[in-house]
Amino acid sequence: MRVELHEMIWFEQHVLSLPELAEISHLPPAVLEELMDYGAIEPIAPATGEPRFGAAALRAARTASRLRADFELETQALAVVLGLLDRVDELRAQLHALQARQPKSHR
Amino acid sequence: MKYKDYYSALGLERGATDDQIKKAYRRLARKYHPDVSKEADAEAKFKEIAEAYQTLKDKEKRAAYDQLGTHRPGEDFQPPPNWQQQYSGAPFSAEDLNLDLSDLFAHLRGEARRGPRGAMRGRDFEVAVPISIDEAYHGTQIELDLNMPEYDEQAQLRRVPHAFTARVPKGATDGQRLRVPGKGGKGINGGPDGDLYLNISLRPHPLYRASGHDLYLDLPLAPWEAALGTSVEVPSPGGMLRLKVPAGTQAGRQLRLPGRGLPKPREGQGDLYAIVQIVLPSVITEPERALYQQLAAASAFDPRAHFASEAGHAR
Repeated sequence: MRVELHEMIWFEQHVLSLPELAEISHLPPAVLEELMDYGAIEPIAPATGEPRFGAAALRAARTASRLRADFELETQALAVVLGLLDRVDELRAQLHALQARQPKSHR
Repeated sequence: MKYKDYYSALGLERGATDDQIKKAYRRLARKYHPDVSKEADAEAKFKEIAEAYQTLKDKEKRAAYDQLGTHRPGEDFQPPPNWQQQYSGAPFSAEDLNLDLSDLFAHLRGEARRGPRGAMRGRDFEVAVPISIDEAYHGTQIELDLNMPEYDEQAQLRRVPHAFTARVPKGATDGQRLRVPGKGGKGINGGPDGDLYLNISLRPHPLYRASGHDLYLDLPLAPWEAALGTSVEVPSPGGMLRLKVPAGTQAGRQLRLPGRGLPKPREGQGDLYAIVQIVLPSVITEPERALYQQLAAASAFDPRAHFASEAGHAR
């Protein structure tokens, strides 16, 4: 008997407060705030009132949490690594788009 | 339960020092970590390495692990008679074949507990969900089969198979992720359940290449079709389409079929691009060869005229 999953949330649908982001990503709020200082994690709304976070921040926070656990990195290094991984993702996307436009015989 | 050799997973001898264990982990983590690695089976390999390190870096867990004795990796085995009482934080049935070795070390007896009354949050689970381009186009119902650790009514640890089904609406693209709150590993002692993450990926298709919501398709044409123009039938995930190829179409030209790509989540659709390729048959018959020679004689076309003028710039 298969359980139907109903409450599925696309990353793009998430609008999270700082405590919510901290809980979901398992990062201490202090680390999240520090990553925000470095610009490694950015809120979606402008800086008035409580910050709100979306898909990009959710991805980054989960990656940061994983890197922190697996590599025992402290926050400044985390910020640098997140930046590099962003760059890798960008390049990968560009490469993928270019390959899609190439006819097969030219590969 | 299957034995796993944590020492050999890290490339170490049984008597390795803490320092050697740490160094081995650091080197292997850098090599196989999915965020950093370019190795083919990085994710699976890293899981083994991380699991081995989590157990061996902790004095108590390592001692408990050593007490299990040495067995062949993958071999079904039983822990020694008093192992459960001495070490395990939760009772388990040694006959439970679904149990994973790592489950035993998740909570050892006497381990410092986090949270009130030792409540611990359940683990998050991440699952890859490859779908075809046709499934992405129409939306699809996916089935997931996962073995997740749980505590039953007698607080006994077991791995329970879970069968899920979920509707992936049309508009999903490669790399999109879904979060399913509370459907991950069960929490312990009243702790919250973990989350389940689904990572959508698009499987390669023999005809279409996806880039975001756009699709690319190679359109082979015979030389006379490109020269004279023609009308061709082009496949798309939504059905066959008719496409007019203008006379004098060059190779590499992208003919756009608007709105025939993958649907976007809310509304609209990406485009389908047919990329023109001019192809020759592998065998040219004598009559065809004669016609080509006639054409060659009749044509004043010089496709390499620019070589002469532009080569001079190299000096």
